[in-house]
Amino acid sequence: MDARLRRVNKEIADCKNDKTSNIVVDLIDSSPYHLRGSFSGPEDTPYQGGHFEVDIVIPESYPFQPVKMKFITKVYHPNVSSASGAICLDILKDAWSPVLTLKSTLISLQSLLCSPEPNDPQDAEVAKHYMTSKSSFEETARYWTMIYAGGPGKGGVPKATKGGTMDEVAMAGLEKAHVDQFEAIGFERSKVIDVLRRLNYRGANVAKINDDRVVEELLK
Amino acid sequence: MSSDYENSDNEYYDDEDDMMLEDEDGSASEMDVDAFDIDYRTSGKDKLKLYEVEYDPLSQRDVEKMMQQDVENISGIFGVDSNIAALLLRHLDWNKEKLIEKYMDNPTAVNTAAGISRPERSAEPPRSSSRSQPSQSLLNLGPRRSSRRPTAEPPKSGKTKIIERISPPVEEPQAFVCPICFDETQTETYSLHCEHRFCTSCWNTYITSKIRTEAEHWVTCMAEDCSLVAPDSFIRKALQEDNSTWNRFQELLVRHFVACNPSLKYCPYPSCTYTVSCPSASSRSSLTTIVPIVTCGASSSHKFCFGCHVDDDHRPVVCGVAKMWLQKCQDDSETANWIKSNTKECSKCQSTIEKNGGCNHMTCKKCKYEFCWVCMGPWSEHGTAWYSCNRYDEKASVDARDAQSKSRASLERYLHYYNRWANHEQSAKLSMELYAKTEKKMDEMQMTSELTWIEVQFMKKAVDEVFKCRMTLKWTYAMAYYLDSGNQKELFEDNQRDLERAVEELSELIESPLEPESIPSLRQKVTDKTVYVQKRNEIVLEDTAKGLLEGRWKWNCSIEGFD
Repeated sequence: MDARLRRVNKEIADCKNDKTSNIVVDLIDSSPYHLRGSFSGPEDTPYQGGHFEVDIVIPESYPFQPVKMKFITKVYHPNVSSASGAICLDILKDAWSPVLTLKSTLISLQSLLCSPEPNDPQDAEVAKHYMTSKSSFEETARYWTMIYAGGPGKGGVPKATKGGTMDEVAMAGLEKAHVDQFEAIGFERSKVIDVLRRLNYRGANVAKINDDRVVEELLK
Repeated sequence: MSSDYENSDNEYYDDEDDMMLEDEDGSASEMDVDAFDIDYRTSGKDKLKLYEVEYDPLSQRDVEKMMQQDVENISGIFGVDSNIAALLLRHLDWNKEKLIEKYMDNPTAVNTAAGISRPERSAEPPRSSSRSQPSQSLLNLGPRRSSRRPTAEPPKSGKTKIIERISPPVEEPQAFVCPICFDETQTETYSLHCEHRFCTSCWNTYITSKIRTEAEHWVTCMAEDCSLVAPDSFIRKALQEDNSTWNRFQELLVRHFVACNPSLKYCPYPSCTYTVSCPSASSRSSLTTIVPIVTCGASSSHKFCFGCHVDDDHRPVVCGVAKMWLQKCQDDSETANWIKSNTKECSKCQSTIEKNGGCNHMTCKKCKYEFCWVCMGPWSEHGTAWYSCNRYDEKASVDARDAQSKSRASLERYLHYYNRWANHEQSAKLSMELYAKTEKKMDEMQMTSELTWIEVQFMKKAVDEVFKCRMTLKWTYAMAYYLDSGNQKELFEDNQRDLERAVEELSELIESPLEPESIPSLRQKVTDKTVYVQKRNEIVLEDTAKGLLEGRWKWNCSIEGFD
């Protein structure tokens, strides 16, 4: 048995046996080199109560080269791309050490959710949001946790309903101007928000998605 | 035969050129011999031409020796093992002075930063004796078996004292399991003196991956957050029999050393491992007075500029000018200039319009707006008498025409130089074809005349020379573009013209159709012309180089590096 396979098998078994850390690693198909990790959002953060899934690819030269990870679950976080789920974390790049494991890396991801690094962002838009208004950022992050990660909406939602339509837009991580633009065509505001959020109509994505596409989605 | 040529040689200079050539080295009689002398530098190394720089091609071995000297030097001063001295030097980018200063100031901090010792921690077992003398806090290199049988390490001579730490009794008798591969059957382990133990095969894979995949010579311990760096002896040991990776490691070290030393440059040709040392071109300011074209020791075709990456050989212009010129040629601004001087915009829809004939009553193809080309005002106001276009403000019209003609003139000036520059570039590019054609001709000559293979080499030599001179000519146009007009520029352009004319004549001779009866006379003509062209090329190069040294050239704009 080659060293990589033995190591990965052991790591998967370790995660199974460990009931305390709440870190789960599952096979996606029969290959032990393409896995899905998941953990719960850390407490006392906007991610609390969410269930976050991570796509894991074990490279050929693992564990001497870092494992490749990205979020499957959409996360609103300065160091995670809101579009692709790509993660900006040093141990996934040059600070990787062969003694790190899938479990320890997933725990690091979990703690990344606790302590964002807006000065070294993966998603500049989100980082800007974080820097300009932390409370508004947290509201959006909580909202994303609720709708994408199955988090409990209790914390943030009442405030949002009170806050009116402005907050609804901000919480979906959208721009008011974009929502207004499509609302002006004659679609219902909530539907516009829903569709734009689904299309991830934010930041650099706006240029990539043309208006026809949005309208098409809205008409569905 | 030889006297024949000597004769013709003199004749040649008498009829066609009144130039006095003091140097008779390159006379035709020696040409045939010269054709086989591939490396001209070796023949003329003792006396450098003005346009040549002094440099030394170094093999990887030579550079390794230089590194070794530095390492031994530091090792002697600090009284440390050579492995440690090497790590210290690499950490401070081979800056010996800085290293000595910092080390004298605080050896512990330098050792920590260089990955030689771990940051001090209170929890660490007291090792007072090794603290004071860094040479002894050495790395634990010996392979160790978990069976706790101390391996007999052959005692190394000199300062290298390997401290084989007998495992403390705390160690459990159970078998060692490598925390990376979880292989229980691996019994041999290595560790740096941080005691992070891993099996030999993991170390091997890890170091190989660092060197091969990441091209990294700075290999840290595999443990998380451990900054200790593996010294060469450890890497050698861990790589075991893998000599090719070890060689790659050596190459990476050499590259790092070369990159840290401004008077060294690595040969840019793919997979070449040679280095060139050219101290005279090591500072940026020197690049305004010399054009450091060098050739590495691996092959005479590995010619490159020590100062920039613009072109292999951009003599006679200096790096700064060559760079500016290429940038200008690549820049879209010239296209914009053309558009500016040849087109106008429709005042209604802003489409760009080029007027290529017809009257001034324009109708925009796009928006159907009708306007006057002269004043750009709507045509409806002009009636039928547009010639007395009274909407045209006198002052504004003069200004506009001035601006337009100025932009046109500058564009034309640029195009003049650019076309000639591009023409030589194009011709040089076609030289491969010319070589093939010449090759054929040479075969033909051997068949139709009495000439032997050696005797027809004059053709190849002529093509070589044409190629070389076209390179020079090409860059003289870049130079002329930036030269301020005046006597110096005129002299420069005279030299340029003479060379260009000679090159064109030689080109024509080479390409002229072969007739069996005229071969001997063709041979003579080509041989003579080649020598002449060679001389003219030298004159251009020498004179430009001299001008650079004297600071004689005046530029028409500010150039990087010049005041």
